[in-house]
Amino acid sequence: MIELETRPEIALDFSELVREHQSMVFSVCWHFLHDRDLAEDVAQEVFLGLHRNMASIQSASHAGHWLRKVAVQRAIDAGRRRVRRPQVALADVAEPVADTPVRDPMLKETLRRLIATLAETPRMVMILRYQEDLDPTEIGQVMDMPVATVKSHLQRSLALLREKLTRRGVREDRWTG
Amino acid sequence: MDWLEQELRDALARKEPPADFASRVVRRAERPVYRFPRWLAAAAAVIVLAGAGLEYRQYRGEQAKEQLLQAFKIASVKVNHIQTEVQGVGK
Repeated sequence: MIELETRPEIALDFSELVREHQSMVFSVCWHFLHDRDLAEDVAQEVFLGLHRNMASIQSASHAGHWLRKVAVQRAIDAGRRRVRRPQVALADVAEPVADTPVRDPMLKETLRRLIATLAETPRMVMILRYQEDLDPTEIGQVMDMPVATVKSHLQRSLALLREKLTRRGVREDRWTG
Repeated sequence: MDWLEQELRDALARKEPPADFASRVVRRAERPVYRFPRWLAAAAAVIVLAGAGLEYRQYRGEQAKEQLLQAFKIASVKVNHIQTEVQGVGK
């Protein structure tokens, strides 16, 4: 009466795909959600979705594209479902120490937190640009968005970050040495 | 690339998930999935609906029977009353 469904024949390929793409999927979720546990849950769901759709995956690179697109969608959905906005408010972002030496690790965290305060679309655009190193055309394909819109989000987000860092006393010459 | 973009690249560098992430995902994915066949679900739905229909018909029958008995009772009281009246007229 009850059918037992197992798919041992694809287990090996699937586990290889998980190992190959886990840092990409997890990082997209983590940088977008700024919540490690939630990012892990969402990343798991993304891979389970891949497992259910293995029959339609034609190659390893197809799997990579599929995973990136689904990770982006699932992360955005999870962000919307979350009761609170990212647990970071601009007011909570720590001020970098004024006389810090080049490449202060605190500055990285400040930047991550500033990115977490961006609206969902520009935030994901920034993550795909600087984490995944995608160009605007590729970002447009992943997010189903015109290239001009992607470029506009990038420019505005960069200008906003620059302005916020400057307002916090962080200047280019301070950390480029 | 300017300084801010370089800093962004560093800040948004990929991160590794927990060490056992991949093995947990694979274990979860390979967990057997129990699925009821569609025909069984449809048959169960038909049986439930048919059963509910029968129950409802029985309930309506009981209701009708009670209403009829009530009507008989009322009619019987009226007939008795009229009979008493008629007998009184002859005396």
